[in-house]
Amino acid sequence: MSLKIFALIAIFGLSACSQTDSLSDKFIQNDQQDPALSGNGRKIALIIFRNGQKTVELRELNTGKVLPLRHLTRHRPHSSPALSWSGRYVAVIAHSTNTPRIIIEDRLKGRLHPLFLGGNRLPRRISLSPDGLKLAIQLGDIDRGRIKIIDLSRKLDPDQAFQGRDFVLK
Amino acid sequence: MVTILGGCSFGRTIYITGLDSKVFDNLKSYSQPSLANRWLATLVTSNGRVVIELADLKNRKRIFLPGINTLDSEPISVSISANGDKLAFLRKRNDLVELILYRRRTGSLQRLRLNSNGVPSRVTVDGSGRVLAVQVFRNGKSEIDLIRL
Repeated sequence: MSLKIFALIAIFGLSACSQTDSLSDKFIQNDQQDPALSGNGRKIALIIFRNGQKTVELRELNTGKVLPLRHLTRHRPHSSPALSWSGRYVAVIAHSTNTPRIIIEDRLKGRLHPLFLGGNRLPRRISLSPDGLKLAIQLGDIDRGRIKIIDLSRKLDPDQAFQGRDFVLK
Repeated sequence: MVTILGGCSFGRTIYITGLDSKVFDNLKSYSQPSLANRWLATLVTSNGRVVIELADLKNRKRIFLPGINTLDSEPISVSISANGDKLAFLRKRNDLVELILYRRRTGSLQRLRLNSNGVPSRVTVDGSGRVLAVQVFRNGKSEIDLIRL
């Protein structure tokens, strides 16, 4: 085998050591969409249809146990769930009013944090940082194609479980 | 009124400013953000072409990703691990959708297999980069496949 072919295989190898499960095998649901994993990989938030409305559901990955969301259920339908490292914070876009808005549930303190974007900005997708202190928002409508980052450090405590270190290419 | 507002927190929303000129290009269209504390991975459309871009929010600059964007493929979803080392993404190539794991540390691309037929449309990676969740359209419905690396 030439060095070139060996290098190609090394760079673009087919996976031989990954294990795939289907969540549908474990948790019977008709439709599951928009998965978001917690940073530690122990929880998953996904969108399911409940009573005909898109609803965020939080589950433990290993057991399949549904974890309670005290506040978010009242603000259905939901889209684009996002989790912090431990799953303490669950963020969604809520479509319960005329304009979509972002709300974050702090599962530890049992508090709800609505975010006001201002300037008629409409969220389309969101992503929460592992420490829970930053949120990236893909905007829609007249701001389509724009992404804004929000600093949540004055509103939320850091998800203490996150103690990660950044990888920086030397 | 107290009951309605109970458990809620209000306050001014603070945007992180100064990114527009250094991280984002006004002529490009950004979508599907994936945020680690320091890193932001996005899909970027420019002149009809879609590519994956990575930004270092701490140093406010774009990071070069050698080998990740190719002329014969188009990314449709991207997600980054917490430390910014691994990017999981889906790309259309030759009418197929491929699931790829990119490791910045080694600059390597690894194609991952799904458990059976279906069309993947969204991927997310956990913070440690060891678990992937993939939304797959299969047998007339959306399912989530989990891949443990």
